[in-house]
Amino acid sequence: MEYQKKPLPSKVGTTGFALLGAGIVLIILAFAVNPHRAFFDYLWMYMFLVSIGVGSLALVALEYLAGATWSTPFRRISEFLASIIPLLVILVIPLIIGMHDIFHWTHKEMLETDPLLRSKEPYLNENFFYFRTGFVLLIWLIFFYLFISNSQKQDISKDPLLTKKNIRFSTIFAILFIVTITITAIDWMMSLEYHWFSTMFGVYYFAGTLLSSFAAATFCAVMLNENGYLDKRIGNNNYYSFGTLMFAFNIFWAYIGFSQYMLIWYADIPEETFWIMMRMKGSWTYFSVGLVILHFVIPFILLMPRSAKVSPKLLKIMAVWILAVHFYDLYWMIMPTYFKDGFEFGWSELGFMMFAVGLIITVFRIRANKVNMIPVGDPKLEAGLKFHLN
Amino acid sequence: MSFDATYARELPLVESKASFREIDDAIIKPTEEKPRKGWWVAFGISFTALMIGAYCLGLTFYYGIGMWGNNQPVSWAFGIINFVFWIGIGHAGTLISAILHLFRQKWRTGIARFAEAMTIFAVMTAGIFPVIHTGRPWLAGYLLPLPNQNGVWVNFISPLLWDVFAVSTYFTISFLFWSLGLIPDIATMRDKAKNGVKKTIYKVLALGWSGSNRSWSNYERAYLILAGISTPLVLSVHSIVSFDFAVSVIPGWHTTIFPPYFVAGAIFSGFGMVSTILIIVRKVFGMEHIITVNHLEKMNKILLATGMMVGYAYSMEFFIAWYSGNTFEMFVFINRAMGPYAWSYWTMITCNVILPQLFWFKKIRRNIPITFVLVIFVNVGMWFERFVIIITSLHRDFLPASWAMFYPSLVDLGLLLGSFGFFFTFLLLFLKFLPLVSIAELKAVVEGAQPTIHPHPNGSNGKH
Repeated sequence: MEYQKKPLPSKVGTTGFALLGAGIVLIILAFAVNPHRAFFDYLWMYMFLVSIGVGSLALVALEYLAGATWSTPFRRISEFLASIIPLLVILVIPLIIGMHDIFHWTHKEMLETDPLLRSKEPYLNENFFYFRTGFVLLIWLIFFYLFISNSQKQDISKDPLLTKKNIRFSTIFAILFIVTITITAIDWMMSLEYHWFSTMFGVYYFAGTLLSSFAAATFCAVMLNENGYLDKRIGNNNYYSFGTLMFAFNIFWAYIGFSQYMLIWYADIPEETFWIMMRMKGSWTYFSVGLVILHFVIPFILLMPRSAKVSPKLLKIMAVWILAVHFYDLYWMIMPTYFKDGFEFGWSELGFMMFAVGLIITVFRIRANKVNMIPVGDPKLEAGLKFHLN
Repeated sequence: MSFDATYARELPLVESKASFREIDDAIIKPTEEKPRKGWWVAFGISFTALMIGAYCLGLTFYYGIGMWGNNQPVSWAFGIINFVFWIGIGHAGTLISAILHLFRQKWRTGIARFAEAMTIFAVMTAGIFPVIHTGRPWLAGYLLPLPNQNGVWVNFISPLLWDVFAVSTYFTISFLFWSLGLIPDIATMRDKAKNGVKKTIYKVLALGWSGSNRSWSNYERAYLILAGISTPLVLSVHSIVSFDFAVSVIPGWHTTIFPPYFVAGAIFSGFGMVSTILIIVRKVFGMEHIITVNHLEKMNKILLATGMMVGYAYSMEFFIAWYSGNTFEMFVFINRAMGPYAWSYWTMITCNVILPQLFWFKKIRRNIPITFVLVIFVNVGMWFERFVIIITSLHRDFLPASWAMFYPSLVDLGLLLGSFGFFFTFLLLFLKFLPLVSIAELKAVVEGAQPTIHPHPNGSNGKH
């Protein structure tokens, strides 16, 4: 196939840098004004970047595993987004510094008075926590380099064996992804309230990562294709898959969220319900109801019609919407530990959001200008470009 | 999708380029000829098992459920185990026919009809158990919220009632889906039938299908809508079955991961059962070119994936039981793994998590005898999963003074046997009287059936 590489317009870079710069300034201010709050905001932002970065890598693996062809022309987008992974290694450092501000269980004196914490100590202790964090990041890094380097090598060599290799890696990564994302969810979010436990929690975060990284890929794919960066054969047939899967992943998220909530509510055991009660205190009630409406009801209704799933305009709006509600969802999971009486949203939170978005755009732009926007050597590409429904 | 070695071309779904006539003949043949000896033997065995079950059911009706091994504290036992087991088996059909249809997985064609039929029979089998477990099945009408003179009303906040709704909806939709798909095929059989009575019956069942463009257009629309309706049902039925346990405060039952864990387990067991029977059927009826090794390999991949999911759930339960710091929760899990029923726990782990790992190897996925052995283990393992969940959580509850062991009675075992008899009797009748593969859908996926709009660069069929 003929593919002409074009650099992204400079306004993409400018937007990215502007957001990144403004974000950095606000973050520095936030740490100067209220470091405790800033650490929680930082965790919130970090989890979002994990969702997008690691979730995108999982999508790459998923495509190889499922043998999907429709998504092959868009695989590079998820690969670019996954390039956040190497940065996570640096971005995690401030969290390690702020451990004591964020996690109550790190306070040694708590062990004396809290028998429940003592029973969890073999898992919830700082050394093992750092070890797990390192292990998880290492796995993400290794698979990031394996997938990306094989995929890029294929652009030149066009060797189908590289696809085969990546399929092998995908099977391994699929398992490790679930394990690592569960560890991440338990360590960084569930342990904020270390008395609380839910077997579903890992799955809940997993549903969010998959949905949000898919939404990010959808947004980029539609934008790039509309501006002629991909291939002119891409159209409704490919869009339809984006719409359908975004719809399906969102329902999956809602199903997991509902099941977790319903079972805790119904059994009504105080050791579990307190986590829900925290999210029902003061203005958090509205926030929680908002989560259901904004995250589930509205996308569910809007994405249901067949026409919606192929409308580039609606797909773009819904993708951004879902990215926004993923921020919202993470805020709901993390912040009640800090804002105990009701939620607050100020310039500090805004700054962290701007930083996250700016970083994603910048990373994407740097990678997109270096590497082909479509995997030109992939043997499945032709089938993907000619993909037809039915 | 399966690809050849260069990943550029999809593998054909039907081996050997069969003509439409050959497809008709191959699929309809078992329904036209006199049943073979093997069929009669199978039917004899199934029917005997069914009769043994009917006898045990009679005993239960006459003497009450005291005939079962249930006791205090194990007040739920075989009845509920069998119910959950059979409902689970019924999940493969809808997953294959609805979800795989929505995700455009064409390979489902060879196995969808059969799996749907299995779903219906499995749900019928499952439905028997909660009804007889009520103790007075002749009053089962009160399970429905119907106004009556006694002012007896159902308990809307009980998941057991939600089960009534979920299972009956599931059965209705699955049945509609299955019978809708049968219409064009029954019309084919009507057109081929020579004998008068047979022709009349098929004529009535075919609902005047003419095969016109308009019929097909309506048919496909209806099929898509039913697929859309069935999809949430795949998740809802077993989620609600899991609620039966998870809404309680019994350690080992109350855990938030139950709904997706049960759904994954249901699909796992359903595919196990579909594979088990398909492997026999394709051999006996000479349909190896229609239900190919590629189909079985894909099903084995699904088995591997869902087996890993239940493995994840087992480990999460164990980990969180410890992490929660809750003594009762911890006790239940240690008791499962090391208590008097440890053998059943390790049977479950071996069959559901360890043995399916062999499916990582392509050689094993494509080896039919080994697959057959492994899927039998899956069936056994999934029955024991329900045994472990129900019995081990109940038999040693909060009060050590009331601990007891559960031993099934002969009537329990007879009913279990009878449930297999019931299921297989229906299945064998289905194999005799209806086409076990969708003829119409199959014709659409054979090599050369697709309109050649764009010539394919690799010179194949132009399918894209």
